[in-house]
Amino acid sequence: MVPAQEKSVRHPARNTSSRDWRSAALGIGALAALGGAALLMRRRTRLDPRRKIRQSAAAMGGSILADSAMEHLRGGFHNPAMYAAPALATLSMLGTTGNARAARPVHAAAVAVGAAGLGFHAYNILKRPGGVSWNNLFYAAPIGAPGGLAVTGILGLADAARTRDHGRLLAGFIALATLAEVAEVALLHFRGAWHNPAMVLPVTVPPATAALLLGQALHPRTTTRPLARSALRLMGAMGVIGTGFHIYGVSRNMGGWGNWRQTAFAGPPVPAPSSFTALALAGDAALDLIGGTP
Amino acid sequence: MSGTFHRPYPAWNVLDKWDSPSFNDTTREVLRQRLEEVPGRRFFTADEWPTLVALCDAVLPQDDNPDPVPLANWIDAALFEGRGNGTRHADMPAPPDAWRLGLAALDAEAGARGAADFASLDREERGAVLRDVDAGRLRADWQGMPVRRFFRNLVLAEIVAIYYSHPTGQSEIGFGGPASPRGYVRLQPNRADSWEAPPGKWERT
Amino acid sequence: MMALQDPDPRAIDGHAPDVFSRDGTVPMRQFSDREEVDFAIVGTGCGGGVLAAKLAEAGFSVVAFDAGAFWWPLSDFASDERAQDKLYWLDPRISEGDDPLEFGQNNSGRSVGGSSVHFQMVALRFRPEWFRSRSLLGYAVDWPVDWREMWHYYDEVERACAISGPVTYPWGPKRHYPYRAHEVNAAGQVLARGAEALGVPWAPTPLATVSAPRGKSPPCVYRGMCKIGCSTNAKQSVLVTYIPRALDAGAEIRDLAMVGRIETDKGRATGVEYHRAGQWRFQRARNVVCAGYSIETPRLLLNSANARQPGGLANSSGTVGRYLMAHLNDAVWGVMDDEIRWYKGPPSMACCEHWNYIDDHPDKDFDGGYSFMSQGPLPTDFARMLVTNEGVFGTELRRQMALYNRMAGLKMVGETIPQADNRVTLADEIDDFGLRRARVTYSYCDNDRRMQRHARDFMARMLGAAGGRDLLETGSTAHLMGGCRMGNDPETSVTDSDGRTWDIPNLWVCDGSLMPTAGGVNPSMTIMANAARIADRITTLAAHGELDRAHG
Repeated sequence: MVPAQEKSVRHPARNTSSRDWRSAALGIGALAALGGAALLMRRRTRLDPRRKIRQSAAAMGGSILADSAMEHLRGGFHNPAMYAAPALATLSMLGTTGNARAARPVHAAAVAVGAAGLGFHAYNILKRPGGVSWNNLFYAAPIGAPGGLAVTGILGLADAARTRDHGRLLAGFIALATLAEVAEVALLHFRGAWHNPAMVLPVTVPPATAALLLGQALHPRTTTRPLARSALRLMGAMGVIGTGFHIYGVSRNMGGWGNWRQTAFAGPPVPAPSSFTALALAGDAALDLIGGTP
Repeated sequence: MSGTFHRPYPAWNVLDKWDSPSFNDTTREVLRQRLEEVPGRRFFTADEWPTLVALCDAVLPQDDNPDPVPLANWIDAALFEGRGNGTRHADMPAPPDAWRLGLAALDAEAGARGAADFASLDREERGAVLRDVDAGRLRADWQGMPVRRFFRNLVLAEIVAIYYSHPTGQSEIGFGGPASPRGYVRLQPNRADSWEAPPGKWERT
Repeated sequence: MMALQDPDPRAIDGHAPDVFSRDGTVPMRQFSDREEVDFAIVGTGCGGGVLAAKLAEAGFSVVAFDAGAFWWPLSDFASDERAQDKLYWLDPRISEGDDPLEFGQNNSGRSVGGSSVHFQMVALRFRPEWFRSRSLLGYAVDWPVDWREMWHYYDEVERACAISGPVTYPWGPKRHYPYRAHEVNAAGQVLARGAEALGVPWAPTPLATVSAPRGKSPPCVYRGMCKIGCSTNAKQSVLVTYIPRALDAGAEIRDLAMVGRIETDKGRATGVEYHRAGQWRFQRARNVVCAGYSIETPRLLLNSANARQPGGLANSSGTVGRYLMAHLNDAVWGVMDDEIRWYKGPPSMACCEHWNYIDDHPDKDFDGGYSFMSQGPLPTDFARMLVTNEGVFGTELRRQMALYNRMAGLKMVGETIPQADNRVTLADEIDDFGLRRARVTYSYCDNDRRMQRHARDFMARMLGAAGGRDLLETGSTAHLMGGCRMGNDPETSVTDSDGRTWDIPNLWVCDGSLMPTAGGVNPSMTIMANAARIADRITTLAAHGELDRAHG
């Protein structure tokens, strides 16, 4: 009458919970592993902080290049000015590899275009019906994104940093840039309804890191510096794991990566999380400068 | 009323996306049947058939379609299969009877205007008869059937349901066509994804 | 064109379709016909589906019947309007009256999951005052339910369906949607611009399709074919929400099982006669619940007439089939300068409930309220509306249809007044099962017509303000409500506030036919919330040993 049911191997009919705890646990585990490794890793080859800054600028530029190219392609480059962001990101990134002095105008241009981009994006939001509404903040041009290009340019210019005070200035700037990025992530992860519990990581780890970094900028105490450094490493690892999450997130859209022409654009932006890694690297360099590393 | 039809999307064909992620196997199979397995006449009689074809031509002229949608065949198929739509107005006969009665009455209307039958009228004249029918200016005996309901809710509704669910009709109006698993990304006005029809070429409006 | 043949029953041999797979199954408990189950539920849509899940989760033995098929959305649903007619109830209802209703794809599903399989996912709540519209607003009747109780259950079903809605909703008491609203498409922005020009609020429509992943449901891809069945499972229909829950909790779903008659003995329901896989069978049950919606529920009760109840079951008041309501669904369409391409995204992404919340306004010459939404009809849907309203044909028809990508529209959901003579009765003719078909009589009253006129004028002003030209008005109806209304008075209602019929203590109704009034919003969330409430009431009654007690 009632067919035998193997309770133990029962495959539930219902949808899984809207919170994807399994992938979250996997990701947090990966973060623990990677972050732990980063924390334990001895600094065997001490990099010159200026080289770190250059690498950070290059990483940031790469992230911004990929992100702005994708997002503006999604927007169909309907305004020719939309080419400026990926173009400047490319130039700024290249600028970090060559003659630092010659690249300065490029970095300065990136800062200027980034700042102008903020205006363009604000206009894009305002011109839609509803104006400054949640819907437009979620789906119109992302309000804070062009700031990333400006950060790239500033990191490119920060190549000239040498002194402890430069370090403090840079630490303060990275802390603020991190907080700005956190605000953007919070907005977009709120849009995603925090459907994956790991989505809270980039709005918890980076603010804590930024606070520690800001502390170093204001009161460069040696006692808390190792803690700040550890936080930066965790944030750097989080950028890598976040990229993994976003790749997985795209695959969860209908058609997965096989339908990439939709899903790579409609799903979570794959290039975005790595900007946290870039910021962490620059923060690390700032601590080096504060600590008086040559 | 007649005149030529201007196509805003002359180069657009939803079938060009057959192998893209806009189509899945389920949709391909449905459309393959629709395109390749056009049923022959099974419900209507050989006498009724020319009237039905003439009616379809008057409702949806397709001279400019290199491969016209076989509207009459699909109407016949729906009636043969007894496909319903969930509603029968109390004053209407069942669809098979309504169609038979209506086609005969159209021939009679043509006869009352001095023609042999509806199919022997030219397109202008067919249109004039249909406008009269829609307005209730009748000369033949429709046996009490509400003619406007017959014409609009049965004839017109069925013909457009066939035509605009066919890739030919969909392409003509710039509709995106099948869309699964891939849907759309650009939802803003005047923005189209690369797998949609390019911007339309509009006459004055 | 494919013949619309049903597949064979799929919920058999201890398994039912796993709706999140292309052709997989999940285990399903099954009951024999001889076993007297706690609840035999007729219908698995927004009423029966929700009830089946919650009663099974509460520990009752449940068999839920549906006349339609149990689909695998990922593999059964084509991107094709014509083929997807298979989701609708296509057997004819006889329609008459001054304003005869259209059924089929307009308002009647025939699938496990019911009409939610093809609904357009608009997830709005009643205005609180509507639950006491007679006492507070002076028209129609009060519900026998307090709005705060309903509010609690709206919350529950909105969570269960992960409704994607705005962070702040401009009308009525606060509500919090589990998922964020979708990006408002170009068609929705037309409404938004018009509303802003007229100075009335608008909102992104709360929708039952997810804007972010939800377990095995991917986010909506904006393919726009919601009305012909969601082939991605982004739509949170009853088929992918409550039906799987019901299966997990041990309910049996019997697909392609048409219930033709409820048997009674000594004033109590004893079970249902149903037709499945070519034969008539009888399922014994301690309780029978009608959840077939506003046409099939009255039809079943009327078709179950016997010597003791010759006017149909639970019909001592003569109310079964009466007070049927549809929503006014008039629309205004216009040509825009922009290419709107309204086929993208769910059809109604922006809404305006302005006239639902206005009581004293010199322009308001009608009782009740209406909302309206932006539109995105698929090609044949739009063409059908054009030809049935305008009678246009020939080259002119093709010319007007060629403007499809530049059209925008506003369409109302308007509350009609419940009238005793708008009703379901039985026709003399019989269907393929040998059951008498439903005959539905429907006419608008003067108030309905005044609202219709008001809404058309207002929507035309708004669409014009948004830049729409060559405006065209069309008329139609949507949704069904009432037909077996609940109430506090056995003389004027079919059931009490728990959905239990006044006449037969173990016979229940749980679907949209219970609704005493229609409200000016799409009914699915209200039907689901009411079903969730009834499930809890039944569980409470059972706990107190009151399930078998007759009405005082």
